[in-house]
Amino acid sequence: MKVASNVEDLLTQVLAGEVWPPLADRHGYRVDPNGDAFYLPGMGGVTLDVHCGDPATGYRSDHLEPGLSVRHRETGPNYALQYLTCIGNRVEVSSGPKKGALGFVIGQHAYVLVDMEGDEMRGVTTGDQVTVLAVGQGLKLADHPEIVVKNCSPALMSAMAGGTNAAGQLEVHVSVVIPPEAVGAGAGMASEYANTDLMGAYAGLDDDLSLGLESLRIGDVVAMPDQDHRFGRGYREGWTSIGIISTGSCLLFGHGPGPSTIMSGPSSSFKIVEDDTANLSFFNLVQHRELS
Amino acid sequence: MTNAKLVSVNLLAYVDQGEVGNDPYRIDRDGNPYVAVGDGGIVLGLRLGDSVFGHVGDHAAPGACLVHPSDDARYAVVGLSCIGNRAIVRTGDATGHEGVVFGKRGGGERVIVIFAQDVLARLRPADQVAIMSRGQGAAAPVAGITQMNITPEALALLPVDVVGDRLDVGVRAVLPSRTVGNGIGRPMAMWDVDLQVESTSEAARDLRLGDLVAITDLDARTNAGFRKDSMSIGVVTHGTSPQPGHGPGVTIVLSGPAKHFSVRSEGAAHQGLREETLLSKASK
Repeated sequence: MKVASNVEDLLTQVLAGEVWPPLADRHGYRVDPNGDAFYLPGMGGVTLDVHCGDPATGYRSDHLEPGLSVRHRETGPNYALQYLTCIGNRVEVSSGPKKGALGFVIGQHAYVLVDMEGDEMRGVTTGDQVTVLAVGQGLKLADHPEIVVKNCSPALMSAMAGGTNAAGQLEVHVSVVIPPEAVGAGAGMASEYANTDLMGAYAGLDDDLSLGLESLRIGDVVAMPDQDHRFGRGYREGWTSIGIISTGSCLLFGHGPGPSTIMSGPSSSFKIVEDDTANLSFFNLVQHRELS
Repeated sequence: MTNAKLVSVNLLAYVDQGEVGNDPYRIDRDGNPYVAVGDGGIVLGLRLGDSVFGHVGDHAAPGACLVHPSDDARYAVVGLSCIGNRAIVRTGDATGHEGVVFGKRGGGERVIVIFAQDVLARLRPADQVAIMSRGQGAAAPVAGITQMNITPEALALLPVDVVGDRLDVGVRAVLPSRTVGNGIGRPMAMWDVDLQVESTSEAARDLRLGDLVAITDLDARTNAGFRKDSMSIGVVTHGTSPQPGHGPGVTIVLSGPAKHFSVRSEGAAHQGLREETLLSKASK
């Protein structure tokens, strides 16, 4: 993205995390939109074979978290990890047989989610330590002070298409424009944490549940009109938020594939361009070293 | 099943203190810090019929919020309590006085109970209150609709009538599902939904505590979520919030396919739950 920013002023913080186990409760089952019970994998652990560019839906899964699901054992350090980590940050496996393997952050979902090469990922499991080079919070766009940027690494910002256009707007390329009716769980929460679940993507279920979002891909850059996520997530006419799809298939009603927010501002400040290549899989982030 | 008897369960709950974080400030939708007043606990001077925008507060509910210190027990207290249930104070200066359940809030799992103002002033956080819970599982007056969070007797106090094979419902306002914020995706037996509306919004500016509202394209029979041509009806049970994604709270009482409802927007003529009517039921 060709845009003036304060990227040179940003600091990098080294943060520790741990691959967290999937969790269940003794009742097991959850309820889908039709009231039917299900028990499916999704959150926590290391979820294999779903990477950036792959379909977000179409799996027998609930709250699908691609790749590594990472948090910190202690509350304060965990918030540091969840709030300071940005999409595109470099992650290195720090223990276990795959020590030294590299990946990158694709989003937050109450865990930091990490994608890496598939064969490397097969050797990583619950309890393995990872190190995140967190950089990005505090990023500002000099010519767009009304746009709040968050959860966006300098690497991601530089890899995205678009930038300041002749009209003074920020041109952002997105794969999908999300109708405001789709915004589900996550509304009202801090936008540095977790993500926005999108409804209307229940592939294979009733037509009256659909908002046409069944073709979302992991890593898609999406535009969310009528959403103001500058200081938390909320519906607001005249504002637009930009996000990256970091989670996939969901059967729990009111939930769904979700974008982590990277920008928010008045709708008039953005020029949204639909572009199928607006996806993390095209951004070559796995090779990127923030400190190189 | 529709003729099956409802079971009443006596619950014990505790009057809430309300909470402010270790940092006094929260951030409003424009990024400005503020100190939250009335978020839980005992709130004096806020009455049914008051505008949801009429006071400086954050999720302020009329009366007292009740909680339980154990997580699992708290889920049950909020999940089983229904609008219209009697609540009897068991300890403290207000011992023996009764209030009535008016609504519920999710996240912090609070039951909202209204009392006469002189009783309310004598309540103190941590006072014990017994709730005679009853109502979950009650059949709606019309087949195809799910009823929750309200006793059949309290529903009868509202402009809800069977007309032919439909439920005729008079409401203050009809709002689209995209205005539903915090609470969406959560189990409606335990949560309310916040409306992301501002006092300048034509559809929502006249909302008052106790009003009925209708939300289109919202299926709230289990978790709340988008479903085209669904309808959900709820009681406005707490005031607005400056936080993004939050706002006036609605405790859902009826939900199902829109074809089973005839919803009438009554505007200024609307009369929802009234304090004197609800409280008079408590003493019987």
